[in-house]
Amino acid sequence: MMVFVIGGSASGKSAYAEQMALLLSEGMKQQKYYLATMQVWDEESKKRVERHRQLRSGKGFVTIEQPLAIHRALETMVCLGATALLECISNLVANEMFSEGTPKPEGQVVQKILQGISVLNQELANFVIVGNHVFGDGILYPEPTEKYMRAMGIINQEIAAMADRVVEVVAGIPITVKP
Amino acid sequence: MESLALKLIIGGYAQGKLDYVLQKYHLDESVVWDGNMPEDRLPGGDTVIINHFQSWVKKRMMCEGCPEQETKAILARYQNCIIICDEIGNGIVPMDALEREYRELVGRLLIMLADRAMTVERVICGIGQRIK
Repeated sequence: MMVFVIGGSASGKSAYAEQMALLLSEGMKQQKYYLATMQVWDEESKKRVERHRQLRSGKGFVTIEQPLAIHRALETMVCLGATALLECISNLVANEMFSEGTPKPEGQVVQKILQGISVLNQELANFVIVGNHVFGDGILYPEPTEKYMRAMGIINQEIAAMADRVVEVVAGIPITVKP
Repeated sequence: MESLALKLIIGGYAQGKLDYVLQKYHLDESVVWDGNMPEDRLPGGDTVIINHFQSWVKKRMMCEGCPEQETKAILARYQNCIIICDEIGNGIVPMDALEREYRELVGRLLIMLADRAMTVERVICGIGQRIK
């Protein structure tokens, strides 16, 4: 079962995605993984990561830090029948695109991430993916940001097509977009 | 902690949220308290519509108020409370730290309000969809 959870900032999407991962893996003995993508570089990101750790603590997730090359999470996971929660696509795209010097081409980033996700999906019993709805402010951004948005737009659409369910979270309320 | 009295209305900028509320609930502007106004007096009686909730949150944030506590006090004060708020979290993460804090704060407050509200409606093009 693959579920794509999308929402704006502070929409409650993470809490919902976590609940979903717990629900899907209920009664299963296999491991639950949390695939973390955030790179910590300042006090604010440290706090953010800490808040999410608090949310997850005691729920039995094994955290794998995978800010780049998401497919490589396979090397650490015992996949057969496992459940994974990937948080989130927006960090992953930013990391892949902007981590090294000049930004990587959109197509390359899209392909790498989608391949990684599809490989993981084949191995996992349940895969919950968190996406960020950054497309609703109507502001025109400089080219690198627009490039980032376009890449993420395509990735989100492809994940939504692959997913069994797509849910938008608004003010903590889940709205089913793809049943 | 569901409050029978609370209705939450969210949606994008300029979607006709206030008109929607006034029409649907047969209310007039005398009960509207506008978050955009520098100083607006809370209406008497037991009904209030708080419009531009996000602007009020920003103001309170800027002068180091406590929007969460103050919101709860308003909920306790009015039997019928309708809060109208723009959805502001659906964009690229702002470069400015205060803007980030503002989005985060409004988002968390909306989760709290939606949890307590009897109904949550999302308005687009003047049309409301009930999501709770």
